[in-house]
Amino acid sequence: MKNKYTLRYESFYKWIGDLINQFTVIGPVLKKRRQTVFEKLDNLERFHLDYCSTMLAPRKYIYRSRQKLMDFDRENNSISSAEVEKISQIIIGIHPCDMQAITVLDRTFLGDYTDAYYSALRDGSITIVLNCNNACNKGFCASMNTGPFLRLHEGYDMEITRFTDRLLIEAKTDRSVHLIEKASGLKEVREADLTEKSEIATKATASFTKSIDTRNLPELLLRNIGHPVYKDTADSRCLGCTNCTMVCPTCFCYNFEETTSFDLKKTERNRYWDSCQELHFAQVHGGNFRSSREARLRQFVTHKLGTWIEQYGCFGCVGCGRCMTWCPTGIDLTEMAIQIQEDYKLGKIK
Amino acid sequence: MKQDQSNPLIPRQAILENKFPETSDTCSVKIALTDNDGFSFKPGQFNMLGIPGFGETPVSFSSLMLDKNSFMHTIRSVGNVTDAICKLNIGEQLNLRGPFGNGWPTEKVTNKNILLIAGGIGIAPLRPVIHLLLKNHLNYRKLFLLYGARTDRDMLFKNEIKEWTESKNISVLLSVDEKSTENLIDARVGLITSLLDELKVPWQESIAFICGPEIMMRFVSRYLIIHGMNSKDVFVSMERMMKCGIAACGHCQIGAKFVCKDGPVFAYPDIKRFADTLL
Repeated sequence: MKNKYTLRYESFYKWIGDLINQFTVIGPVLKKRRQTVFEKLDNLERFHLDYCSTMLAPRKYIYRSRQKLMDFDRENNSISSAEVEKISQIIIGIHPCDMQAITVLDRTFLGDYTDAYYSALRDGSITIVLNCNNACNKGFCASMNTGPFLRLHEGYDMEITRFTDRLLIEAKTDRSVHLIEKASGLKEVREADLTEKSEIATKATASFTKSIDTRNLPELLLRNIGHPVYKDTADSRCLGCTNCTMVCPTCFCYNFEETTSFDLKKTERNRYWDSCQELHFAQVHGGNFRSSREARLRQFVTHKLGTWIEQYGCFGCVGCGRCMTWCPTGIDLTEMAIQIQEDYKLGKIK
Repeated sequence: MKQDQSNPLIPRQAILENKFPETSDTCSVKIALTDNDGFSFKPGQFNMLGIPGFGETPVSFSSLMLDKNSFMHTIRSVGNVTDAICKLNIGEQLNLRGPFGNGWPTEKVTNKNILLIAGGIGIAPLRPVIHLLLKNHLNYRKLFLLYGARTDRDMLFKNEIKEWTESKNISVLLSVDEKSTENLIDARVGLITSLLDELKVPWQESIAFICGPEIMMRFVSRYLIIHGMNSKDVFVSMERMMKCGIAACGHCQIGAKFVCKDGPVFAYPDIKRFADTLL
């Protein structure tokens, strides 16, 4: 079987160590208080594959939270667009849900219009996916069909599965084949290895306690935009803090900001991540189309689990569980959707 | 300087060629591109107009292409950017990205009566439609303009409206909430829906292009549909906060629609089904 190998752990870590010496490698790093963060790796010391979920998804290395767009020279009335970063980096340890999320972002930034900044970072990043052997406590990727083992057929470079004594490495793209060929101790994959993988996958999928039934969900949500669950949840618990959208791996919204130098000679235009949970988000002259927290919360839930399908042909939720993990009051979008589904089953709503 | 064609987020530069005050807070500006490499647009589309340091704002075209490389925008000064544009002097520069959006479905007017229904500054994106239809007869039946404003003083394009009123090719019906003391233009006092009562057109064979405050579009659309117009022939032009113009920044979303790319013109049933509209 082409480009599929097994590798013992000590050889794997040696390979990663070599990559760190030669390339920019970004991976999960264990920080204080047992929090894991995607960071540039300098050595293997705190490289931590056995993580559950990070606060920020690896999207921040492909879609910058702040991006300079242009300089405007006010004296000469001239525009110079910001140079597109030429980057070459390896992102290792991406969970299947987060990899799926990057391909969801692709539909926004590489669709009808190509976003030059995103495109350069996406193309310049070798993405190495790490399958999850266990469910994480807030995750429901199995329901969203994004994990715990990779469900994508393209859009990533390499897939890694952990066995007890060795790892299964499946290189998808040519550039990832070149990378893995640098490792020593590679063994050609055997049929038994792939059987072992699917056994672990089945076990991992069965370990989920959190789930949601997505069948007909977009239509149901759209038919019931006035359901009281949004108002009840928003009024009693939503603080409007925007945490959910900042940690969401598929959120793409941005805003522009212009800053002018003190001598009024230069104006710089930047873009930065914005959030539909901000009060200003839908503000126009004369009114705000989502002035209530209820409306903003509904926008989040119905977009991720509903209207995204019509826009992009996929859900905007990959089931990573970050929004509810980092919500200060633990608002859970699946609970809201399930409440609407239950009302439907009871015949209370259409 | 040319627009970086590969990057729709980088503006091109243009010059304010002329400026016409319309009302106390609204002006029309004629904008000329410093170059014209294949710039063309449809009525109903819009540009993101920007002044460095102030920001950008979406403004629809209020004319067809003039000369080779210029066109008009009609702007009400209500915020930082619109105010800055209205205060520009002739010959000064501004930035521009566009054209964006889908425009009015002028291909659908064949064999139909056309109702152009405008409220307030909503007349601006319909003005190039009138110019287009009066210039090229697209095999439609009759053309109507229904235009409502707060007072006759707030009516835009007064001279042109007077010309249209005298034209055989377009029927003009005007309404104002109240008349000013000057009585600048002959309009009936009332809501725009009261003008609809006067129209004697077969609704099933008519098509409507509506632009105005969302609450006005709500009542006009519902009136037309109740009276028998096919809801798919009722088109509304939506306004939302826009930042990018290319369906990426997310601000203009109404349900599954990006107003900047899928709109701003929508068939009424296509946009009414979503939350957070007044339709």
